[in-house]
Amino acid sequence: MASDPGRHRRGSSAVVTGLAVASACGRGPDALFDSVCAGTPAFGPVTRFDTAARRVRVAATLHDAAPLPEELAEALHQSCTQAGLTVDQRKDSPLLLAWHPGPDAVRAARRASEAVKEAASVTAAVTEAAVAAVAVHAPKLSAATHAPGSPDAHSAAAMAAGLAARCGLGGAVRTYTTACVSASTAVADAAAMIATGRADRVVVAAGYLVDQDYFGLFDAGRALATDGRIRPFSRGRTGLLLGDAVAAVVLESPGAARARGAEVLGRVLGWGRAGDAHHVCRPHPEGAGVARAVRAALDRAGVSAEELDYVNAHGTGTPFNDSAEAAGLRRALGPAVDRTPVSSTKSVHGHTLEASGLLELAVVLQALRHGRLPVNAGFLDADPECRLDLVLGEPRESRARYALSLNAAFGGANTALLIGAP
Amino acid sequence: MNRNGTVGKGNVGNGTGGDGTRGDGAALRWTCSARWPEPGDGDQPPPLPGFVESTFSPMVAAAAERCLRQAVGPPPVAPERGERIAVVLVSVGGDVGTADATAAAVDAGRSVPPLLFFQSVPNSVVGHVASRWGLAGPVLCVSPVGDPQDDGRELAQLLVEDGEADEVLVILAEQARGPGGRSHATAVLARSWDAGEDSGPQCSNHECSNHE
Repeated sequence: MASDPGRHRRGSSAVVTGLAVASACGRGPDALFDSVCAGTPAFGPVTRFDTAARRVRVAATLHDAAPLPEELAEALHQSCTQAGLTVDQRKDSPLLLAWHPGPDAVRAARRASEAVKEAASVTAAVTEAAVAAVAVHAPKLSAATHAPGSPDAHSAAAMAAGLAARCGLGGAVRTYTTACVSASTAVADAAAMIATGRADRVVVAAGYLVDQDYFGLFDAGRALATDGRIRPFSRGRTGLLLGDAVAAVVLESPGAARARGAEVLGRVLGWGRAGDAHHVCRPHPEGAGVARAVRAALDRAGVSAEELDYVNAHGTGTPFNDSAEAAGLRRALGPAVDRTPVSSTKSVHGHTLEASGLLELAVVLQALRHGRLPVNAGFLDADPECRLDLVLGEPRESRARYALSLNAAFGGANTALLIGAP
Repeated sequence: MNRNGTVGKGNVGNGTGGDGTRGDGAALRWTCSARWPEPGDGDQPPPLPGFVESTFSPMVAAAAERCLRQAVGPPPVAPERGERIAVVLVSVGGDVGTADATAAAVDAGRSVPPLLFFQSVPNSVVGHVASRWGLAGPVLCVSPVGDPQDDGRELAQLLVEDGEADEVLVILAEQARGPGGRSHATAVLARSWDAGEDSGPQCSNHECSNHE
């Protein structure tokens, strides 16, 4: 697709040439975008594990989800295929992964360790879950630190190393475990690696499948919505609901993409990251970190608040997050915030934790590509603490050129990605 | 890092040499380094209010506290400086103690202790350090494939070179797993040479001169 070199004052820092996504909305970017435009929530009773002891029993799950390593490998394969990468080009592409292993990795490590002790052969006695994990890690056996039986065989890094080897990528760098800003942080680092000349191309993948452990943790923390819906920025919102997501993108320098004749799906024009320095897990009530992250992304892109056409908000539907995020947007955008359409598509696909940044980047890329802004579903009534121009009821037609994708996490971590149309 | 306290190449350290990365970055200097445990410390790090069941977050907080006290004095730092200090937490294994405690509760069919909710992600202890010291730059938590020290150095380099921070608090932490192992954390403050010479001492700690 032809680009307009005069359109971006500071030029594209990185372009997106491959995209794959799966969520409770279905498989592929089109299924996702159809759902978020229709505003049809994907929440339903959890059948993947027992929720009898939990206060809340609802999530947005992909009904035919394979084990996460398989889903991630498939997403990586699809995104690299869409980008048209040759075997050699894949070998030159480092992988950044966003994922948090959690208690399941501890269980798998324990099972594998016990099996090794008992049978001297890992595959003879490990459970089905451990077999899947070992299969993913097997290509990295040469690295002693990630070998089966070693303490780190089931670490987040081992997952990345195994995936890179399995998918023919040029080596995994690291796994981001920065909670709900993991994927957006990985995208920012990938763009920075390209912008500073460290790499011509970086592949980013992210995944979270709703599991019994994090479901139990969020339930214990009373963070889950008690009325079966996420209602971002709405009066009467009661919390978040978890959702499945697996996604992968190929990011390239504009020159490298042009040289290959690759189709550009969107442009990463700016990124900003800032901390609240406020609390272990509560956001700054005035959105101080959100505001600085947004301003940094706009400044880097050379895009003014008035030029911003859409914000895909973090919008978890929790009382604290949404009022802080709205305050931060107002602080960053000034009067322009009243004319900037905002929606949180978590109201449809749920909160996908470490994968949020990549799933929501996919929504933004589709919105810019199709000229349609998705719905902020689940809205009941205006909250004076969340005065925003929300996209309600129907998707909004727009010749959008610039959009922000916002994410936030415990520890006061905030990220903003400024995305430009192809 | 070489002996004069600077970092040269900005290459990503995945140990394979085949990651397709390249680049020479502006040099960083490491103004201070501290660790937990140090000689004389007991087996457990000082308790950290609100964090239970695991030594991971307390030892991260202890190492960060020691490093920052040496580098910048008592908390907090001035707001304009704090906004330009990033925090990077590097751990291959992560918080195994919290993961173990959560798995035990879930597997037994018990309610999960609510305090484990927020401490289940490494961001939370970074939030503790950041709010106490007024560090309001980017927050990153990672599990590196290659050498953790190299990866922390590379991320610090990238953040400074890309203009997102002037200083980076890099914390390396690993919990003991298995008999004979010992949990440990190291915190290092990296500064851009462009950030000036007057706001922190050059580290004389052996840890800083041993990063070649």
